Amino acid sequence: MIAYIVRRLFWMVFVIFGVMTLTFFIARVIPADPVAAVLPSNAPDEAIEKERARMGLDKPIWVQYGRYINGILHGDLGVSIRTRQPVMEDLIRYFPATAELALASLLIGIVIGLSLGVVSAVKRGRIPDHAGRMFAIWGLSMPAFFTGLMLVILFSHILRWFPLLGQMPAYLRRPPHVTGFLILDTMIAGNWSLVVTELRHLVLPAFTLGWLSTASIVRITRSSMLEVLPEEYIKTARMKGLRESRVVLKHALKNALLPTITVIGLRVASLLEGAVLTETVFSWPGLGRYVVSSFLSIDFPAVVGVTVFIAFLYSFCNLIVDLLYGYLNPKIRYT
Amino acid sequence: MLRKVILCGVVFGLLALPALGQAIPKDTLVIGADLGIIVDLDPARVYETTTNLVIEQFYDNLVDFEGTFEVIKPALAERWEALEDGLTWRFYLRRGVKFHSGNEVNADAVVFSFTRALTLDFAPIWMLDQYVPTADNVKKVDDYTVDVTFSAMLSEGLMAAIMGVQGICAVIDPAVVEEHKTEDDPWAYKWLQFHDAGSGPYKLIEWLPNDRVILEGFDEYWDGAPKTKNLIFLGIPERAQQRLALENGTIDLAWDLLPEAIDEFRTIEGFTVVEVPSWGITYVAMNCGMEPFDDPLVRQAIKYAIDYHAIIEGIMKGAAVVGQTFIPTGIPGHLEATPYHKDIEKAKDLLAQAGYPDGFSTQIMCQPTSPRRDIAVQVQQDLVEVGIEAEITQLISAQLYTLYRAQSHFIIVAGWGVDYAHGDSLAKPFAHCCSTGADAPVRQLAWRNMYSNCELTALVDASETELDEAKRLEMYEEIQQVILDDGPFAITHYPLNQYAVPNYLKGFVAMYSDSYTEFCGVYKE
Repeated sequence: MIAYIVRRLFWMVFVIFGVMTLTFFIARVIPADPVAAVLPSNAPDEAIEKERARMGLDKPIWVQYGRYINGILHGDLGVSIRTRQPVMEDLIRYFPATAELALASLLIGIVIGLSLGVVSAVKRGRIPDHAGRMFAIWGLSMPAFFTGLMLVILFSHILRWFPLLGQMPAYLRRPPHVTGFLILDTMIAGNWSLVVTELRHLVLPAFTLGWLSTASIVRITRSSMLEVLPEEYIKTARMKGLRESRVVLKHALKNALLPTITVIGLRVASLLEGAVLTETVFSWPGLGRYVVSSFLSIDFPAVVGVTVFIAFLYSFCNLIVDLLYGYLNPKIRYT
Repeated sequence: MLRKVILCGVVFGLLALPALGQAIPKDTLVIGADLGIIVDLDPARVYETTTNLVIEQFYDNLVDFEGTFEVIKPALAERWEALEDGLTWRFYLRRGVKFHSGNEVNADAVVFSFTRALTLDFAPIWMLDQYVPTADNVKKVDDYTVDVTFSAMLSEGLMAAIMGVQGICAVIDPAVVEEHKTEDDPWAYKWLQFHDAGSGPYKLIEWLPNDRVILEGFDEYWDGAPKTKNLIFLGIPERAQQRLALENGTIDLAWDLLPEAIDEFRTIEGFTVVEVPSWGITYVAMNCGMEPFDDPLVRQAIKYAIDYHAIIEGIMKGAAVVGQTFIPTGIPGHLEATPYHKDIEKAKDLLAQAGYPDGFSTQIMCQPTSPRRDIAVQVQQDLVEVGIEAEITQLISAQLYTLYRAQSHFIIVAGWGVDYAHGDSLAKPFAHCCSTGADAPVRQLAWRNMYSNCELTALVDASETELDEAKRLEMYEEIQQVILDDGPFAITHYPLNQYAVPNYLKGFVAMYSDSYTEFCGVYKE
């Protein structure tokens, strides 16, 4: 098992290195000047040239690559052209807000997705099944910005049940920075009324993003459950006189979870993609908005840094999913 | 299962309940804006309008302006005068003015601030170093008097426009910089990116990138403490969200409302729409280095083919005014001339005279965002009517401006903002070009569009140092007339600065340049 993990981590380094090199060169062959994008169009050419020299962008591409690799080996992802901050610091600054949103939306996705998936399979062909599938298709087919705007208009603007935007009201002060995770920091500060306020701010964006996950989880759980439910051991469990809920949840669901776990694992990393739109609609100060701005201004260091980060997330989540397989199905052996 | 559903419903309901009755306190002003553009708060490097708007609240310059910029008003300098050599201006500082740190604003601070900006040499410094090339040009006379020697004889208007440039000409506290400098960073640039060392009406409490900027009133401000204690800029990138947030009271003012939203607020009770002309110019430019735009008749034909009315009413929804000369309303020297209107016959006739009776094919470049993209489509349709087939290429600004600066376009739809409050900041970019090569001293709009006119360039140079105000304004009118008739620009409109102001908000004064807006006099009734 440990040898397997070490081998996977070793290959992960190669994957990330490959992604990094590819992104580095692709970003630089695009016929666009990031300095021209980050300075106003009024800026004279001399100012642009000065800024390019300051950023080292006037050096040959191989020199830039050598410097970049040297930086990576020292834990430095370079300095963003747009924000003028080290990319690593930017990632650390923006990631907590996205992580809070992603975790909350994943929780919503798993709870609703698994429940609806199981109900759809058990009540196959009946109204709960149709309703569950419709809910899933709805979530999959509507873009996050549309879902978000509809929820905002209904729950914030018309009903005024939930706040419109942001992580907390503008006029309240953030708790002292401890972890960077707002809700966690507020809990550490012991400000429980603010925790409730922050949770209220989290509901709509988390649901918007979670709906996307819900949709995939419902569909995969339903189809896996439909495969498992006719199996002999399920019939045996029923014949033994077990309660139906126990048969479904303990015997059927556990065995149907394998493909669902794969989907959930992939969703964790891809939540970042959904976060791009959700964060914009809800003015959520996370990594998604940083990604959009960096890509639009062809901010090389930030683009490579974010891509490496996403590649790492994908690889890491895949590893965790592979390890979970062994827990869910003891027949699986790691060699 | 049912119990779980009920439990979820209860949690949902409990989270929803506290929403009732929350409002922004009276001592806090919240302004929604797209803050994504703010990447740095160091005045030596700030260049973009939204960032300038923010630092305007906590830094002061020697001079300031009234709403239309035609009136110069004292700020940290209570008066100034030109010395006999004609190059040096002497500034007499206001006494007893305090920085946020409690230190006094004095001549040493002024000299230090200019030295710092000129030494750091960041992108916007060109506005200052074209006239004040080195730190040696700024000298302390006594604790409250400073001499600034310019490299050319400037009129009071141009001198004030330069000294009033936000950021690079702001006065900062040397003691605070000294306290936070390091061996690698002797000017405390890294510290000042996130903190303030100013003397303005507000103090910077915290800047959370992409999220909010929190400011608190400075009670010892020389012009009186701000009427609203807390000022918060809240990051809302989506303009539709800004509209909803303003209507439901999440914010007090929205900075980037769409014209459609402004129109809606005209009929919503409790709001008043305030609008003033802006310093912006939107134009369609033709590259004179590319055939057939090297022919003035073709350029004129295109100026007559464009439907300016459709752009202002249909695309800008009235959030713009007609303007065809490059010095917009509100800046001395503006030439009130709008000779171009859609005239298909005249355009066809001009094309025939130029040898293109059947038109030609070309390309229009623009950004993929509204309204520039929509203007490009309108121009494309207008050109079809005179026989010109134009293909639209949409490019993000990193690509668009790279090609534009390389003079590689045919037609481009773009815009321009005024760098400093003077006709000089427009005459140079729009009309100064005697060589289209890399040796040109000013490589801006006329150069990018390869419009070379040495006679006109000489006139621009002469206007820069003309001290007789009336004569200089005449020169600006002449330059604008030449560009209007012969130049590569079809200026389509001047956008308006529009705001929907809640009726409870008092004291808000809209500025021609929105980055100069001050909030110290704004309060809630």
